[in-house]
Amino acid sequence: MDNILDRIRDTFGSLWKHEQRADLLQVGVEQRHVLPLLTWLKEHTPYIQLTHLSAVDWIEDGEFQLSYLLTDPVGRRSLMVAARIPREEATADSVHTLWPHAVTSEQEINEMFGIHFPGSPRQGTPFILEGWDDIPPMRRDFDTVEYMDRHHPSRPGREHTDPRAYIGRVVGEKGFLHD
Amino acid sequence: MSFALKLVWSLLGVAGAIAYGLIIGGVIRKVMARIQGRIGPPVYQPFIDLFKTLFQRTATQHGIMFYLAPIFRAAGGIGVYLLIPVVIGVPALENFSFAGDLLLVMYFMFFGSLGMALGAAEGGHPHSPIGISRGLSQMTAFELPFALAVVALAADAGSFSIHEIVMAQQGGVLNWNLFANPLAAVAAFIAFLGMNMYAPFNIVGAPQEIPVGPPTEFNSTFLSLLMTGRAIFAVAKMVLFMDLFLGGAHSLVEALVKTFLIYFWSVFVGAVFPRFRTEQSIRFFLGWPTAAGVAAVVLVMLTH
Amino acid sequence: MAKTNLPVLPPEGSRPHAPLGEGCFLGETERQQPLALREALATIKNWFRANSLWVMAYGTGCGAIELRPLTTARFDMERFGMAMRPTPRQSNVLIVSGYLATKSLKRVIRSYEQMPSPKWVVGLGSCTINGGMYWDSYNTINRLDLYLPVDTYIAGCMPRPEALIEGFKGLMDDIKAGRANGWNHYLENMDWYKDNQKRLITDWDLPDYNW
Repeated sequence: MDNILDRIRDTFGSLWKHEQRADLLQVGVEQRHVLPLLTWLKEHTPYIQLTHLSAVDWIEDGEFQLSYLLTDPVGRRSLMVAARIPREEATADSVHTLWPHAVTSEQEINEMFGIHFPGSPRQGTPFILEGWDDIPPMRRDFDTVEYMDRHHPSRPGREHTDPRAYIGRVVGEKGFLHD
Repeated sequence: MSFALKLVWSLLGVAGAIAYGLIIGGVIRKVMARIQGRIGPPVYQPFIDLFKTLFQRTATQHGIMFYLAPIFRAAGGIGVYLLIPVVIGVPALENFSFAGDLLLVMYFMFFGSLGMALGAAEGGHPHSPIGISRGLSQMTAFELPFALAVVALAADAGSFSIHEIVMAQQGGVLNWNLFANPLAAVAAFIAFLGMNMYAPFNIVGAPQEIPVGPPTEFNSTFLSLLMTGRAIFAVAKMVLFMDLFLGGAHSLVEALVKTFLIYFWSVFVGAVFPRFRTEQSIRFFLGWPTAAGVAAVVLVMLTH
Repeated sequence: MAKTNLPVLPPEGSRPHAPLGEGCFLGETERQQPLALREALATIKNWFRANSLWVMAYGTGCGAIELRPLTTARFDMERFGMAMRPTPRQSNVLIVSGYLATKSLKRVIRSYEQMPSPKWVVGLGSCTINGGMYWDSYNTINRLDLYLPVDTYIAGCMPRPEALIEGFKGLMDDIKAGRANGWNHYLENMDWYKDNQKRLITDWDLPDYNW
């Protein structure tokens, strides 16, 4: 399946493709093509294992990106399928019927990003955050330092150093550590 | 010797047996540590553990049976000890061996574990019944070869009284039941491993000073009572086996040496073997050890 | 986010919750004995307690990885009389090793209150002192002594077993000198501790005190 990226583009219509390494291919599709594409990949290609399901917050574009990393365990290569969904009322198709362990990933993404996967069990049940009443914390508009100041007080006399300023002093304009 | 004086001596003997049981536990821990290349705790560490648990406060309440369980276990151990003569010929250390015979001793041994199990079930811990069922089923399994060996020895000596059995072994090392009734010895010494709950039969709880299976919920003072009960149970079983198979003892030094050797039998086996599962140990006990016990009984019947 | 809605029940096998001070168990409450009643044997008792510290085998965070070498032959901790116990009912020391997530804090509080007095808490690692590496995380606490009374801190990220042994020796010296009284502080300032705990843990479905 060396021309798998071309086959995806011909069959489903991909938005972009990228060969990062010989054993790591990436392709971007529209959200409505994700479930048929993954079903086709699992049933008819060597990429049968869902290694990773994660979300990225592109707050500048107002979109979330869901990344499905599929692996070919025999040929030892990976294919990443990326799909973007709008940030407001974020919903995506659930793939738990293909891989049962995706239920946990979807539960975590629901808790951390607020993306809803209709049909996936355990949506809405707490995974790590029990009694959470703020916005989902992995969104980039969540200010973790401000939350920490409100809920987890430090000892008096503690000084906070801004990492960017400190690293900027050490690294300087050359962009790497120098004496 | 008057009854009151005998009582005093017997209670002192109980205290001495508890101290002996604790010290022997400490010695075992030190030996195992040295084998593993460590320094290990001091030999008197079980005493420190005992007094520390004694001085802790308790805040749980789980019902009457929960309180009674360690008392049952300690009572079983003390009952077993008081019915066995430690040293023959020294009335102070002969305890109350005239008052009961071997069957009563076996009853007390079972009674201790049974009381413990009933109390642990009250603890409210969801895993206690698992440990209890394992312990009781294993105990039922090893009672069989032990009972057969006891019957063989009693038929050989003509009486169930421990005193008589010891007297029948006098007159030389080869008269000991270890050599005179070897099949009964095999059955009983394998049952001894199950009694001590050492490897390979320590599935009932983790191999620590007090197994954490049934006694999970017991804390503070209850735990110190359990440790005491365990110490005296160990000593009582060692003394019983010494009387049954190694010809009793005529002096305190002889008693100490023989019981130490018997304890080390279980430690040496335990250091080498991994653990059996419960069904494997039950199947094992009902196999060759029971066959050896049956053969011992048949042999004794044929030669009398 | 769905909130849990469990009824507040006491642990199975015990009475329903009674406020502290009432309902003496075995004739004693867990409050501090008045000074006049403190026995002259206090020094001896503390010596026994210090020389036989039983640690609850509960690794709350990544600092627990430095506890495992303590049981091996090189840094043998059994020579001090310390042993690992699997149940809070039989342990004396609770080691909070490393960061403490809010979810873990609820369970740690329950385990701590189930331990019989006298008991001690050791804060292992910098995360318990002032947040450490995870100071700005929404999920981990920054100061352990707002929620549990801490007797000893061992700084480091993570402290090596030699540092742990020195910390435990310091705890033993404190116990022998009678200075380690965290459990009494917890009982006397129970309202303050419970306030802090309940402000952080919003879905409180435990009893108010876990016997």
